[in-house]
Amino acid sequence: MPRRWTETLARAAVLGLPLAALFALILGPLAITLVISFWEKTGFSMRPAFSAANYAAFFSGVRLEVLMRSLWVAVSATVIMLLIAYPIAYLVATRVREALVRPVLFLFAVPFLVNYVVRTFAWSDLLSRNGLVNSALVSWGIADAPLDWLLYSDFAVYLGLVTAYMPFMVFPIWLSLSGIDHRLVEASWMLGEGPFTTFRKIVLPLSLPGVIAAAIFGFVGAFGEVAVSLILGGTGYQLLGNAIQSALNVLHYPLAAAISSVSTLLMLALLVAWSRMFDIRLFLGKIMGR
Amino acid sequence: MQTTTLSRIGLWAAWGFVALVLVFLYAPLIPPAVNSFEGAGGDKGLFVNYAAILTDQRLVAAGRISLTVGLLVALISPLLALLAAEAVRVWRIPKLVLGVLLIPLFVPGISMGVATALFFQTLGIQPSLLTITAVQVIWALPFAFLIILTVMANFDPVYREAAYMSGANRLQAFFEVELPQIHPGILGAAVFSLILSFNETIRTSVVQGGRNTVQTYLWSQYQQVGLSPNLYALMTVLIVATLLLIGALAVMDMRAGRNRG
Repeated sequence: MPRRWTETLARAAVLGLPLAALFALILGPLAITLVISFWEKTGFSMRPAFSAANYAAFFSGVRLEVLMRSLWVAVSATVIMLLIAYPIAYLVATRVREALVRPVLFLFAVPFLVNYVVRTFAWSDLLSRNGLVNSALVSWGIADAPLDWLLYSDFAVYLGLVTAYMPFMVFPIWLSLSGIDHRLVEASWMLGEGPFTTFRKIVLPLSLPGVIAAAIFGFVGAFGEVAVSLILGGTGYQLLGNAIQSALNVLHYPLAAAISSVSTLLMLALLVAWSRMFDIRLFLGKIMGR
Repeated sequence: MQTTTLSRIGLWAAWGFVALVLVFLYAPLIPPAVNSFEGAGGDKGLFVNYAAILTDQRLVAAGRISLTVGLLVALISPLLALLAAEAVRVWRIPKLVLGVLLIPLFVPGISMGVATALFFQTLGIQPSLLTITAVQVIWALPFAFLIILTVMANFDPVYREAAYMSGANRLQAFFEVELPQIHPGILGAAVFSLILSFNETIRTSVVQGGRNTVQTYLWSQYQQVGLSPNLYALMTVLIVATLLLIGALAVMDMRAGRNRG
């Protein structure tokens, strides 16, 4: 009996303490940021207060425009990413031999793992007036002169966002597609449904947990983007991340905290809705080994 | 007959689409290498821009910090992930631990950087290697955690039961039976964490104070003066290092696959 006690205590210490430290390191910053977002800026510093001034400053004028643009860009970019990632995940889940699944998924992991700011620099290089893409278009006679809209444009920003976040989105979608019980699909066939109806009524609904998880990841990434908008959008092209960066540059920490909190709360709301809709353990069934 | 021809064409078109997407994903890995040889050649030698990196004290210092932090992250993230995965198994609280540990995946980089910086400032902790390591560990953790959870799920509990039957206690069962079986996965999580440390720029740039990693140095130079051939050489080194690590990861995975059956 006493031995059980010591074992329980030791386990609580060895597992509980690091876990508590981790929770503190993840949740503490987000909580403190929310508190500081109500503080006031004083010269080079800030002082505790309870004022909504930072939120008022954020939800008005130029910053409101940035917020609206970020929402629009993030939503539309996420739709594009899903339209690319879903077919790829579907192909890998249904048309690739078991032995080749890992190598094919690996191909999508490689570019995602290379530093994404460096990849964004590379895009600005490829898309510039005398970059590789324009040289190719002119020399192949597709364009008469170098195209100006390739860089510092919406096109460049979307290209940068999609190539930055889409590869990772293939994984959760593939995870939920490959977890679908194939007997359900076969049952649908036996009941005389064609491939399209089967997809619409069985496969698509059952793959939604992965799709929504991927969508939240892509949306939040694009919404709070800094590097892609600065490097590929050019001066003046701001997404929410750039608004946070410029608040930091003028040492306005409470404002940076307010903008950060807005993006964090939006993300948490999306994640809570997601976990209410789906059973996270069902989604991670393969990982949790069930 | 006709349908098979059609569906075959459809399948080819689908794979063509996948190939096109891959071209777009891999294209950005090439330009830095091309630009890194600008002005090279002739009597100056081919690698003049690479040699310039080694004579620039700021770059050498940044490289040292990148490596130090990377190794720390590679050490700490898998260890914490392993403890968290064990906690999930012992206390049966997957939803809580998963819910919290995956949050960093879904917070924009700059927001996480600001939040972590304010957190340390409130606690009175000055920017240092420690704060850089902390913010990167939090970033690498969700990935390391998922990898280790997967590996542990594939470990058959029968082995552990057998160890208990032969009189081993919990610790012995873990270290002598389970760890030898799951260590490839833990090593994989470590390499993955190192790769993610190299991948990280924005979060680090907010919490680093006066120091620079290679990644944040590139970022700040771009904003202040723009990019030069030397910096392209630095990017190329970073890309090649990452690809080598990914290659190591692939080799480890293949070996593990052979052992799996």
